[in-house]
Amino acid sequence: MEGFTYFNIFETKGIEYLAILAFFALLIPFWIILNKQVKITRQIKSSLGVLSTNILRIPQGLFYNRNHTWAFLERSGDAVVGLDDLLVHITGEVKFSYLKNPGEIINKGDLLTEIDQNGKLLQIFSPISGKILNTNSLLKENSEVINEDPYGKGWIYKITPSNWIAETNSYFLAEEATNRLNNELERFRDFLAISMEKYAPEPSLVRLQDGGELIDHTLSHMPGEIWLDFQKEFLNHSH
Amino acid sequence: MNNNHIMPKDNNGTPIIKFLLREFKPKGKIFTLFNIISFPIMILGLVLIIIRFRNGLGSVTNLTQEVPWGLWIGFDVVTGVAFAGGAYVLTFMVYILNINKYHSIVRITVLNGFLAYVFYAGALLLDLGRPWNVVNPIIGNNFGTSSVLFLVAWHFLLYMMAQLIEFSPAIAEWLGARRARKILTGMTIAAVIFGITLSILHQSGLGALYLMAKEKIHPLWYSEFIPIMFFVSSIFAGLSMVIFEGSISQKVFFNQINEKNHKAHNGILTGLSKICAVTMFAYFFLQLLVFIHEKHWNQLNTPMGYWYLLEMIGFVLFPMLLFFVSYRNNSILLIKIASIITMLGVILNRLNVTVIGFRWDASIRYLPSWMEIAVTLAVIFTEIWVFRWVVRRMPVLRESPSWTKENE
Repeated sequence: MEGFTYFNIFETKGIEYLAILAFFALLIPFWIILNKQVKITRQIKSSLGVLSTNILRIPQGLFYNRNHTWAFLERSGDAVVGLDDLLVHITGEVKFSYLKNPGEIINKGDLLTEIDQNGKLLQIFSPISGKILNTNSLLKENSEVINEDPYGKGWIYKITPSNWIAETNSYFLAEEATNRLNNELERFRDFLAISMEKYAPEPSLVRLQDGGELIDHTLSHMPGEIWLDFQKEFLNHSH
Repeated sequence: MNNNHIMPKDNNGTPIIKFLLREFKPKGKIFTLFNIISFPIMILGLVLIIIRFRNGLGSVTNLTQEVPWGLWIGFDVVTGVAFAGGAYVLTFMVYILNINKYHSIVRITVLNGFLAYVFYAGALLLDLGRPWNVVNPIIGNNFGTSSVLFLVAWHFLLYMMAQLIEFSPAIAEWLGARRARKILTGMTIAAVIFGITLSILHQSGLGALYLMAKEKIHPLWYSEFIPIMFFVSSIFAGLSMVIFEGSISQKVFFNQINEKNHKAHNGILTGLSKICAVTMFAYFFLQLLVFIHEKHWNQLNTPMGYWYLLEMIGFVLFPMLLFFVSYRNNSILLIKIASIITMLGVILNRLNVTVIGFRWDASIRYLPSWMEIAVTLAVIFTEIWVFRWVVRRMPVLRESPSWTKENE
């Protein structure tokens, strides 16, 4: 063919230049990915907002359980159970993906309900044993009530308790409950600091600022890994 | 922390001789699994070394005129020195770049590097037909300036001295010599700069030794760039050794390390894994470039070619990706696994140049005799014994004695 000149890419070292260009072309994404701050860490950091003890509602007359549920014995002898305010502040808006039906028997420690936020699940275990009388139908239609009024309209079940006194004697009441939830909030702050270390490539470089406040609905900014850790740390107590 | 360690201040209390005698007594349990395995091998090695010096190299080794350098050079000297590379990388980071994060592991790394040079480079003497001639390039009886060995000999000598100076404050603290410590500490930075220069030169110098053997080394491993490759790979070889050795030290010398340094250790490992990932990335491309430059395509589809690909992909690219992933996920276990694979890869690379790919076409291949392997193991074990002896006595991992802070 006229007008074409062929170069031998091997003889002219053209291929070596190409290899060097390929090296630099790959080095850029390599370096960027290597140095990208791990997403989880960034999210935790940005969440150091405003969740503090003075916005928590802690009615003094309820029995608070370690797994962030509460129970209340009505005049009739039936008990009402629900989620405590700290938990709903930490999770933010959730849906109830599992609810028991009236008439079912539940034991303390059984799965009470499952809350769901865009596929991230938390399992809640029952604080008491008994027979379910009623399930709050509002929760299915309008699940925000749990955030608006966790101790009132946001109740979950009415239960006829079968072993109330024995099962609730280790629960927190009155000022004990206030202390308990305040401590839990502190523990949650530490938990986030530890998660941050766990998911950060260079732990020593990441620090929770002292006295920094947590953002409300903290967990809604977090990925599923942290939800799993949260379940283990805060909701899986055996009693 | 450890009150059972004797810390004389300017020898107050004990005369120096008495102190030394007491320190030379063994500490800790004598019949540990490690001791039971290593001690007989060390004795065997000693016997073999005596035989080698009485009856000559041929009585112990499988070396021939055709293959004059075997396992003792290829593994002990060439590979051992590559693993000692962590010392110059770390001292560079801590003393020149002032990255204080790594300060707590500098002493142990320098000690490890120093002992590696003393023992593995010392193993060079075993391989010399007339070992007493080793002083010739130094005293000028016959400098031999045209040989790369001249450079290597001087560099080893000077670098050992530089490392000894870098480490010497720990010895002074052990002996309680305040004035000496002050002077020696002042020399550290000079020794570090000198040491880094020497290291860069002789890490590559060891590679340059093999430039002469163009006809003997398999073409896939021979190129005029061996020195550069040896230098670049010594960075991640040394750091992998630091990761590996550090992980063991954290367990074995647990009670010597204070809580702060224990906690910082994972951060150190992740930092090192990042450096390893980046240098191995560059090294892989350098190797690729050399391969393209040498145009040995036709060699790839041969058994030696597969062996070459195994080294490049299985022991460079793969551990590089492991380091990358472990850094991103902050996985300490993966970092340790990656460091072990990297070390195997460096051993493989050095042996490929010096033993496996050396006279690969000979009708009778060199295979190290069991006696050579026993001596090599004995050298390694002896080094570990000395290392342990020093770490248990001097402030290598544990805090310096309190009087060092008054001076500052």
